Amino acid sequence: MHHAEHVMGTVVSIDLADELPPEKLRAMVDDVCGWLHEVDRRFSTYREDSEVSKLRRREIDPADCSTDMRHVLEACADLWRETDGYFDAYAAGPLDPSGYVKGWSVEIASARLVEAGSMNHCVNAGGDIRARGRCATGAPWRVGIRHPWEADKLSWVLAVSDQAVATSGTYERGDHVFNPRTGGPARGLRSVTVVGPDLALADAYATAALAMGEAGIAWLSKLAANGYDSALVTDDGRAFSSAGLPAAV
Amino acid sequence: MRRSTAAAVGTLTGAALIVGVRLSVSAPVVPSAAPPAVDLANSGQNDDPEPAGSANKKPSSKKPAAKPTENADEADASGEAGGSGLKNGIFKGSAAKNPYGTIQVSIKISGGKITAADATYPVTGDSATINPPAIASLKQSTLKVQSAEVDAVSGATFTSESYVKSLQAAIDEATA
Repeated sequence: MHHAEHVMGTVVSIDLADELPPEKLRAMVDDVCGWLHEVDRRFSTYREDSEVSKLRRREIDPADCSTDMRHVLEACADLWRETDGYFDAYAAGPLDPSGYVKGWSVEIASARLVEAGSMNHCVNAGGDIRARGRCATGAPWRVGIRHPWEADKLSWVLAVSDQAVATSGTYERGDHVFNPRTGGPARGLRSVTVVGPDLALADAYATAALAMGEAGIAWLSKLAANGYDSALVTDDGRAFSSAGLPAAV
Repeated sequence: MRRSTAAAVGTLTGAALIVGVRLSVSAPVVPSAAPPAVDLANSGQNDDPEPAGSANKKPSSKKPAAKPTENADEADASGEAGGSGLKNGIFKGSAAKNPYGTIQVSIKISGGKITAADATYPVTGDSATINPPAIASLKQSTLKVQSAEVDAVSGATFTSESYVKSLQAAIDEATA
């Protein structure tokens, strides 16, 4: 079953490859979509009544936040330390945990699918992917990495089973990633993809490396030891990839 | 004269302590010693017009890096040249032990000038254990342009509006 849901300012594509009754698959898709809309309501920076907006206005104290919000705030603080400050939920000024929330919410969506009986699925939240098991043909999921200049082409094709694939780039929404050291937009890297066990971390690492610029190349190479492989393209068109990248071709 | 030669060797020993450690850190995966930058044994015997002290004439000393027994003082036999106070010949400092291993410096003097210098440096043992494991850096390759069939496309986050033009939208449409 395949479904595309407009939510969180983007489109989430849900692909269920399990051989289960259609009504069961439909219910799973509905559950996932319900969860993603809930996340949007609670964590969107665009909604005045979201928990994030209330935190920003200091109407609530971090200590009084929901368990999920406290988890998100803690994770953002951990990532800030782990990335030498390059992953910064406060990069644009007020709190904006979106860079963590999207990947985290898809991780939970995938876990909910497993709990409901889906061992083979692929969820793509606007370019950030969590895959499990196999696709309908029984082969690993084939994930393309968008070419950073040609929107209808790919620069890598990966074969993944139980992994997350996250990409940050400057080509889609312009200068939306900032280098916290310079205060200016990130320069040097055009596209960074990180492949690993957790989508929230993979996404945060990709964003941090993009913010670092070319220094991010060396930083990413250290992540391979923790199970996070990477592929990137510089502003001047050079391609780099780690030895463990699960390239399909 | 002797003293100035010994002083030069001593200074180089100090330098080698630094150089030696740096070399072993920058090339941690190489298990054997790098070839000497200068071949003291050969140049000493072939090129030197007024060859070398006694140390240089022993066949066993052809590999200066391997034999730390010679002493700069033994190089006394040859004459002074160039008015610098340095005697021609090949001189080795005493082997210096430090926490990372043993380092020994050799210098070659001809025409009163130091014309070559080399040092042994530790490549195994303690030196190897203090080196961090090699980090495999990312490999550079040509940026490819592929149009293979895939189940999903990873890319920088698109908006709801730009989704319609994306490759993922085409996949969703094809599989809906």
